Amino acid sequence: MRRILSSITDGKGFDILLVSLTMIFLIVMAGLPLLYNVLMSFQQVDMFNLGTFSRPFIGLENYQDVISQPEFGLVMKNTAIFVFGSIIGQFCFGFALAIFFMAKFPFASTIRGLFLVSWVMPGLVVGALWGFILAGDYGVLNAILQALGVTNGTMFWKSDPNLSIWAVTIANIWLGLAFNMMLLSVGLAGIPGDLYEAAELDGANGWQRFSTITLPMMRATIGAVLALGLIYTLQQFDLFPAITEGGPANSSSVAQYWAWQWSFKLFDFAKGATVSVMMLIFVLIASIVYVWSTRHEVRG
Amino acid sequence: MTAQIELSNVDKHYGAFHALKNINLTIDKGSFVALVGPSGCGKSTLLRSIAGLETISSGTLSIAGQTMNNVPPRKRDVAMVFQSYALYPHMSVEKNLSYSLRLKGTPRAEARARAEEVAATTGLSDLLHRYPRQLSGGQRQRVAMGRAIIRNPKAFLFDEPLSNLDAALRVQMRKEIRGLHDRLGATSVYVTHDQIEAMTMADHVVVMRAGVIEQQGSPLELYDTPATRFVAGFIGSPAMNFVPGTIAADGRSVQLDLPDTQPLPMSRPQQAGRRVTVGLRPEHLEIVDPARAQLNLPVAAVESTGSLTYLSTAGEPEVTVVLTGRSNMRSGDRVGLSIAPDKVHLFDVETERAI
Repeated sequence: MRRILSSITDGKGFDILLVSLTMIFLIVMAGLPLLYNVLMSFQQVDMFNLGTFSRPFIGLENYQDVISQPEFGLVMKNTAIFVFGSIIGQFCFGFALAIFFMAKFPFASTIRGLFLVSWVMPGLVVGALWGFILAGDYGVLNAILQALGVTNGTMFWKSDPNLSIWAVTIANIWLGLAFNMMLLSVGLAGIPGDLYEAAELDGANGWQRFSTITLPMMRATIGAVLALGLIYTLQQFDLFPAITEGGPANSSSVAQYWAWQWSFKLFDFAKGATVSVMMLIFVLIASIVYVWSTRHEVRG
Repeated sequence: MTAQIELSNVDKHYGAFHALKNINLTIDKGSFVALVGPSGCGKSTLLRSIAGLETISSGTLSIAGQTMNNVPPRKRDVAMVFQSYALYPHMSVEKNLSYSLRLKGTPRAEARARAEEVAATTGLSDLLHRYPRQLSGGQRQRVAMGRAIIRNPKAFLFDEPLSNLDAALRVQMRKEIRGLHDRLGATSVYVTHDQIEAMTMADHVVVMRAGVIEQQGSPLELYDTPATRFVAGFIGSPAMNFVPGTIAADGRSVQLDLPDTQPLPMSRPQQAGRRVTVGLRPEHLEIVDPARAQLNLPVAAVESTGSLTYLSTAGEPEVTVVLTGRSNMRSGDRVGLSIAPDKVHLFDVETERAI
C-alpha cells in the first residue's frame, strides 16, 4: 500500500495519474458521445424512443435519406466553398501578415498583438459585426466598393443566393486570420537568421530565399496550421445564425449548420447524427495530418 | 601582388555606436588574412561588411577592383563560413553543397558531379545523403567549407569557424583550412578571437580594438615589434608582463618599480627620468644565478604542463616566466631572472604606444 502511495507522490504512478485524469475526461466528454453519435446514425430515432438506448437498427437508410435530399448537393458545395475559401484566405493573409510583422518597425509586436482581438471575440459578436459591414443598403463594405469604383450597384451580400456563402466565408477569414498569423509567426521566428544570410551569399534572391528556405523550414507549421484550420472551419457555427441563418434557400447552409437544423429544428436526431458522422471523416483526415506534422514536437 | 579586397576610410555606425572607425585595409589576392581582437572590437562587423550583410556608413569597399558599397551580398561573389555553420537543415549534404549551383540553374547532373568532387576534397564522400543533424561538429564544419569551395568565389570569409569545436579538432581543422587555402589559391579573410589561430594560420594579421585597427603585419612582426601595449598583451601566450618603470639617469637602462631589481639595459637610449611601462615576455626571461640576476623575485606558484613550466612571482605586479622542461623551484623560493636588452619593450604610459 505504501509503495503505491509513494509511487503516486514521486514516480511513475504520478505520470499515470495525470494521464488517466485526462483520458477519463476525454472518454466521458468526447469519446462516448462520439460513439453514441455514430451509433445513432445507424438507428431509427423518433421522439418516442429518444430516451432509450435500444432502437431499431436500420443500416445505411439514414445515409441514403440524407444523400437523396434535394439540398444535399448544394450543402456539400457550400461546405467546400466555405472550408477551402476560409482556409486559403486565412492562410494567405495570415502568412503575409506574419512575414510583414517579422520586419522590425516601431510597435510591431504591439500591433500584432492587437490582431488577436478578432480571435478572442465570440463568433456571435463577430457575426453581428460583419452583419452590419455586409448589409446591402447601409453596409460599409458596399460603400467602400462603390467609392473605389469596383461596383456600381448594391451588392446584397446576405440575401443574394450567389453571394451569401461568400459573406460568411469573408467573416470567417477575418475571424481566423489572427490565429493563423500567430502560429505562422512562431514558425517564422524559429528559422535561424543566419540561414537567410548564408542563402543570400549563396546567391538566392528574395523569392528563392522564401521558396527554398522559408517554405521547407515551415513545412511542419504549415501542415499544423492547415489541419487546425480545417478542423476549426468545420466547427464554425456561430457565424451562420448571426449572418445568414443558412439562407436564402439554403444557399449559405453548410454541413455543420445543416446537422444542427436536422437535430434541433426538425428534431430528426438520426439525420443530424448522420451528417455529423460524414463530417467526422474529414476531421479525422485533418487530425491525422495534424498529428503527423507535429510529430517532431515530441521531445524527451 | 594585386589587391583582392580594398577598404579605404570605412566607417560603420549603429545609431550612436561607432562600430568601425576609419578602417584602411588591403587584402592581397591569394593571401590569408586574420582579423583578431577581443569580442566587440568590430572584427565580425568588418567581415560582415565585406560580405555585404552590413552596409558601411562611409568610405569605399572594393572587391577585385569593383566598388561594392551598394552591391547586394548575392552579387558580390564571396563565400562565408559561419560560426554556427548555418547549414540548411532540410537539405542533405549533397543539396547543401550544390545549393548555390542549383540557384544558378546548373543542370542537375553537373551540380551533383561538382558536389561529389567537392565532397572528395573535404572528406565527405560517404556522407552525401546524410542530413546536417546526423553529422558531428567536425563534419558540419567540412560541409560549411565545401559549400564555400564549390562556388569558387573571389574570397572566402570565415567568421570564427572553429569556436564550436573541441581543442583537438580545432588544431586539426586549423591545418586543413590553411591547406585548402593553399591548394585552391584562394583569398581568405578569417575572423577569430584566438590569437594562436591568427598567428598559426595567417600571412597577415590585423589586430583590432574598439573599431580601430591597432596594428597589422606578419605574425612575427606583431610578436617582435608590437606597436602598442594592447597588441603586445594580446599577441603571445602567456601574455606579456607589464611592469611600470623609470628610465635611468644615463638614458641607457630602465629601473623597474620592483624591489631587488637592477636597471635593465636597453638596446636604444631613451630620455632620462621618463616614466614608462616595460613589457617583458614570459619566454624571454631567463633563470640565472641570483648573484648576477637583474631581478630577484619570490616565487608564488609553479605550474608544469610536462613540457613547459610556468613560474609566477609574488608581489605586485605579478611576473610570469615560462621555461622549457622542468624546474625544482617551489613556492617561497627566490628566483633570479635576466633578459636580453633587445627583448625589453617600452611603452608610453599615456598613449600606450611603443617607444
